[in-house]
Amino acid sequence: MKKIHMSYEKKKGLYGYGFIALWFIGTLVFFISPVIQSIIFSFNEVKVEEGELAQTFVGWAKYQYAFGTDPNYRQYLVEMLQNTALKTPVILIFSLFVAIVINQNFRGRTFARAVFFLPVIIATGPVYAIITGDMSTNGSNEAAQFSTMFETDMVDQLLEFVGIYGFNDKFTEILTTLTADILNLVWNCGIQILIFLSALQNVSTSAKEAAMMEGATAWEFFWKITLPCVSPMILACLIYTIIDTFIDPTNKVMTLIVAKQTQWDFGLMSAMAWAYFAIVLVALGIIFLIIRNWIYYEVE
Amino acid sequence: MADMVNTSGASAVLGKFKKKPKIKEPKMTRKERNERFKKRLENLTPEEQAYLKRKRALEGVWPVVRAILVFSLCFIILYPLIFMVSTAFRPRAEMNDPTIMWIPKTFITSNITDCIKAMDFWNTLGNTLKLNIGCALLSVVTCAITGYGFARFKFKGKGILFGIVILMILVPAQIINIPQFLYFRYWDIFGIIEAIKGEPVNLINSPWTMYLPALTANGIRAGLFIFLFRQSFRGLPKELEDAAYLDGCSPLRTFVQIMVPNAASVFLTVFLFAIVWYWNDYYVSTTFFTDNTTIALALKNLNDSLRLTIFGNGNVSVSPRELIVWLEAGCLISIAPILVLYVVLQKYFTEGIAHSGLTGM
Repeated sequence: MKKIHMSYEKKKGLYGYGFIALWFIGTLVFFISPVIQSIIFSFNEVKVEEGELAQTFVGWAKYQYAFGTDPNYRQYLVEMLQNTALKTPVILIFSLFVAIVINQNFRGRTFARAVFFLPVIIATGPVYAIITGDMSTNGSNEAAQFSTMFETDMVDQLLEFVGIYGFNDKFTEILTTLTADILNLVWNCGIQILIFLSALQNVSTSAKEAAMMEGATAWEFFWKITLPCVSPMILACLIYTIIDTFIDPTNKVMTLIVAKQTQWDFGLMSAMAWAYFAIVLVALGIIFLIIRNWIYYEVE
Repeated sequence: MADMVNTSGASAVLGKFKKKPKIKEPKMTRKERNERFKKRLENLTPEEQAYLKRKRALEGVWPVVRAILVFSLCFIILYPLIFMVSTAFRPRAEMNDPTIMWIPKTFITSNITDCIKAMDFWNTLGNTLKLNIGCALLSVVTCAITGYGFARFKFKGKGILFGIVILMILVPAQIINIPQFLYFRYWDIFGIIEAIKGEPVNLINSPWTMYLPALTANGIRAGLFIFLFRQSFRGLPKELEDAAYLDGCSPLRTFVQIMVPNAASVFLTVFLFAIVWYWNDYYVSTTFFTDNTTIALALKNLNDSLRLTIFGNGNVSVSPRELIVWLEAGCLISIAPILVLYVVLQKYFTEGIAHSGLTGM
């Protein structure tokens, strides 16, 4: 090979391309082109015909149909956004709390940590469907009964567990809605708890000791030391939680989209999916911009 | 920099976690302790006294509250599993017996054996393992290479390309499924195959639909894996490579000989997660496989296959409450391998995420 003069940096850059080349080829085939194809679908009326998909260009019609005519899409979308807005703070606060508790030294801490992360390992797909009783039982809706039974059982046992047999009604009601979802809640917190846990372990011991010397209460310590220290992780958890709920195949919008797919309406399905994607992306962007100002970064 | 701090901090604490230093305190009776506490208070101002008293009360109550809390939360998480074990071994008739809460009156294993038959469990397990381990290995290797490329090299368009990686995490598989299906149905590389064989190959129902994306770092959750690898490689000290380069080591060799051994734990973590996610995946595999060739698919279709194999009739009506015993039994045998893996290697699952991954965002 003839010697070509090339700077070290440039050579390294070429090696960089080499390292990502395999991925890049794969992405072109398995990711980018399907994405483009699916965007094209969303502007077309797609019909399944022998050996191919027949497409006729319809412009924004599919999007208009999704938002204007479809009986469920807009409603599910709003519900999903509301749900996420309600659930995300609960998940974050809960996981931070659990992480703080598990971070303390007590017997069975390893066991507790393993248990809290367990749902991440098994809570996907059909297993979760069976556990929550969502499994469709060939058209018979009685499976739903099982699901509600499951939840009522949970509530009763939890209430008895805590020793509450009936405060005033309003309170019980709030508690019931909370506990009915508690299985869902704790089953969705595995990763977040872990992220917070590792952040908590990085809280500097010198800050801890200084606070102890000054006689700070646990409460003050939490607000003045712990929270600022884990704030970057709050953002990470927030984004993770939102993405997680967004791509969760059991959420209503996703179910609707998949249902459209099984009805072979690929045009509408793609339009719904991309509109949904755009909305979530915008929401993520807004949240990111708002939260970013509140985060405390240790000066390095 | 942030990554480095995180990594070292986490490992230090995790190290402490492994071997608990036991501090032996001389045993005192409650009375003695009370007296010592009173003595300590004698010379203090009222404010200080109040503070110490409050602190003491809190230290006494908190462990109890904590124990109750942790126990009840663990109970909630394990509830489905306990329920699963409890129902999987009971006869169907006892599902309707109100006197039975957890422990069935008769203990049977026929539900399990029925499910093994209905799911064709051993064959399916073999298939799944083959597919899983193959895909997971391919994913780990290719994602690591890609992650390293993003972590350590500067090149034009890196920002945009990494943006694509992030998009891979964000875009749900459901959106791009149909076009992917079409590609695999009429698989061709630049028209070469069509020129030779006269028509494109149909890859649907062949394991290639799983292997090919994994081979090019585009398998299930590949975006996340690339991200994880990038973060952990960035956390390693740069001096390691610089020394190797100075000694005339090529980047590829540096990667294989220097970086890979140093990031071994991340490799294990990603491998474990890849196995778990491939194991649990049923969405991608339902699109590409039409038969029950993986555990997750077999479990998803358990309902129908049960009716056929056990009751000999696809339309037989069984009360859903009674059907639960089989469903839960099927569930149990499907998650058992993963559960065992988790129990044995629990440390690597949790440590890996805590170490590398998202913490350096």
